[in-house]
Amino acid sequence: MPIDPSLLLLASEPHDVSLGVTLTFTGILVALIVSLALEEKIHAKKSVIVMTFALGSLFLGTALGLLPFHRITWGGHEVDLPVFIPSVDWNVIAIILGASLFVDVVSKSGLFTWVAIKLTKVSRGDPVKLLWFYGLMTVVFSAVLNNVTAMIIVGSLTAVSLSKLGREDKLLGFLLIEGLLTNVGGLLTLISSVPNIIVGTAAGISFVDFFLAASPFVAVGTVLTILMGARLFDIKRLASDAERRRAKELVSSFDENDGIESRAFFWFGATMTGLFVIVIASASHLPVIKDLGMGYVALLFAGIMILRFKSVADRFYQAIDWDLLAFFAALFVTINVMERALVLDLIGEGLHAIIGLGDTSGTAALLVSSAVFSSVTDNIPLAAMLAKILGAMDPAPSSSLWWAVIFGANLGGNLTPIGSASTLVAVTIMHKHGLKMSFGAFVKYALPYAAAQIALATGYVLLFL
Amino acid sequence: MDKVDQFESLFRSATKPAFEREEVPIASVLVAADGSDEEAEAYGDRVRSFLDTLGANVHWRDVGSDGFPTINALHEILEAEQPDLICTHRHLASASRRWQSTLGEYLDVLTQTTDTPVLVLPHPGAEDVPDFAQRDTSMVMALTNHLPGDGRLVNTALRLTRPQGTLALCHIEDDLVFERYMEVISRIPDVDTDLARETIHAQLEKEPRDWITSVKQALDTAGVHVRVQELVVFGHHLKTCLHHVKEQEAGLVVIHTKDEDQSAMHGLAYPLAIDLRDTPLLMA
Repeated sequence: MPIDPSLLLLASEPHDVSLGVTLTFTGILVALIVSLALEEKIHAKKSVIVMTFALGSLFLGTALGLLPFHRITWGGHEVDLPVFIPSVDWNVIAIILGASLFVDVVSKSGLFTWVAIKLTKVSRGDPVKLLWFYGLMTVVFSAVLNNVTAMIIVGSLTAVSLSKLGREDKLLGFLLIEGLLTNVGGLLTLISSVPNIIVGTAAGISFVDFFLAASPFVAVGTVLTILMGARLFDIKRLASDAERRRAKELVSSFDENDGIESRAFFWFGATMTGLFVIVIASASHLPVIKDLGMGYVALLFAGIMILRFKSVADRFYQAIDWDLLAFFAALFVTINVMERALVLDLIGEGLHAIIGLGDTSGTAALLVSSAVFSSVTDNIPLAAMLAKILGAMDPAPSSSLWWAVIFGANLGGNLTPIGSASTLVAVTIMHKHGLKMSFGAFVKYALPYAAAQIALATGYVLLFL
Repeated sequence: MDKVDQFESLFRSATKPAFEREEVPIASVLVAADGSDEEAEAYGDRVRSFLDTLGANVHWRDVGSDGFPTINALHEILEAEQPDLICTHRHLASASRRWQSTLGEYLDVLTQTTDTPVLVLPHPGAEDVPDFAQRDTSMVMALTNHLPGDGRLVNTALRLTRPQGTLALCHIEDDLVFERYMEVISRIPDVDTDLARETIHAQLEKEPRDWITSVKQALDTAGVHVRVQELVVFGHHLKTCLHHVKEQEAGLVVIHTKDEDQSAMHGLAYPLAIDLRDTPLLMA
């Protein structure tokens, strides 16, 4: 049953707000962004930080009369929903919840570890081949699963396999390159990263169109990053037959079937993963499904997979990243209040100035500024805000402005260790294995790659999108 | 970062030590027995009968205890001979035979001061045990509490197993130690006790089983016609060992004696050697 349009219009009804109120809420938004950037320093989870600001903003917004309190109609019935419920993009929440649950259950089939170990064995332990295989695996897993899961799977395998091969000295280089590639792979599909989901959905870009537009860049960006990585970290082929023989023996002790408890469940997991990608890709064209949306598809596949573990389903619920989900929900609420306080209009004026530089300079400036902003704080608030602001400007789905935000928000995460969750995971794995990687050191290592990727993306968006 | 640890565990679990078949050369054997060299030669004949799987191309040297009045003297003989295997019996050159809680002073020292494997046989005068010379090595048991990765133990046991015979690979997991850790875990609120018991138990059994599977695969590939029997059990380290040695009617038991972390004999080896009075025991 479609949602009554009034529900969606709640947040955007015209109203008067004084400049003082707008500036006050702008200050709150800046404080939120700074707090998120300092997440590690203040020892607070993202969800707690944003929840605190969301609750404060709701209270202040209500006290100042910014929020609309009236009943809404849904399917002909009046519904009394709390004011913060309609401001949450539940489709995004459903996609993230369903997809993460689906991936978690499929991982129990041993599918991802099978692929990862198989590639390790095919490499025969040669460092350069390993770098290419792990790099490509990172990109594909980031695209099909999500950045964080991809980094966890490939990063943990890297640590174990390089230790097995006695190549711990290359661990830092491998992890850094993989971390950087998660954000390149995260550009491949509409569901590969949260900024893609938020901006792509707001722009009305279909899964297939997104893939066709982004894949050439991802291919070139991946090759560029791996080649640079091999050169800068001095990752070379094995020199002698004895080294090759020894490395082959060591990787052959990996058993790709070890994590497979049931062959039938393994094939079921593989089939369902393939189907999941196909259905998500064609969701906007399938009858019934196109009405229910991608969030429904993600939840449907998660529901089917979890039937295999129906008696212990609660273990999977415990493993859900509730911090991330609460973060999103609270973020949507906060942004809605900011919108009511006309903060987004204020930012939009700044954005107009950037876009006003012209088709070429404006788009390039938007991409670079999105990247810079994403590098110092979470790219999700940026994506959510810019999606709203750009949405209000109503550019066409094919507009390069959307792509500038998507590319900038994703690749900006490669400039600093706090710029994206997956690079943070990479740094955490480094620390876990005794490798020192400060904020400054990460920027020093990552800057050449990130700069090259952003330059490449800018050229790509300007020339081809 | 629980998930990182979760996946690292998965990948570590998938890394399995693979057994590599290696020939254990036994070209010379020294038999040390009580009495004169003639008496030692008679004892040596019984040993040769028992170890006929070594084949004809082995140099044998039999020495009686009359020829080594001190442990140093025995060491000098070993230095000169450099045997690949020493065969002797309990209470060699010892007056302490009636004290069954020792192996005798010579053997106690010998097993710790030489890197050469020592085959400990029943005393020639023992009347209450079956004659080992009437038996053979058709059923050899390699026994340890840490089987995975122990290629040396398996290759040594394999060297002494008769063709078409059975090599039992026995891994005993000490249930007292396991229960001690489970008790500690049961007092930690952050750890699910039942889950810990189930998964740790399963993992402790899985690792030796995986190793035994790799032994079977390697022997199949090499065309070695020896049946490999899998025995992975939880139990009291000594009682369970003795039970399985008796139950399987092992003709020869192979165990580790050396412990890298201490100068004393490996924790399981000495009590087993004391109690296995009627079964030949190779202390490798």
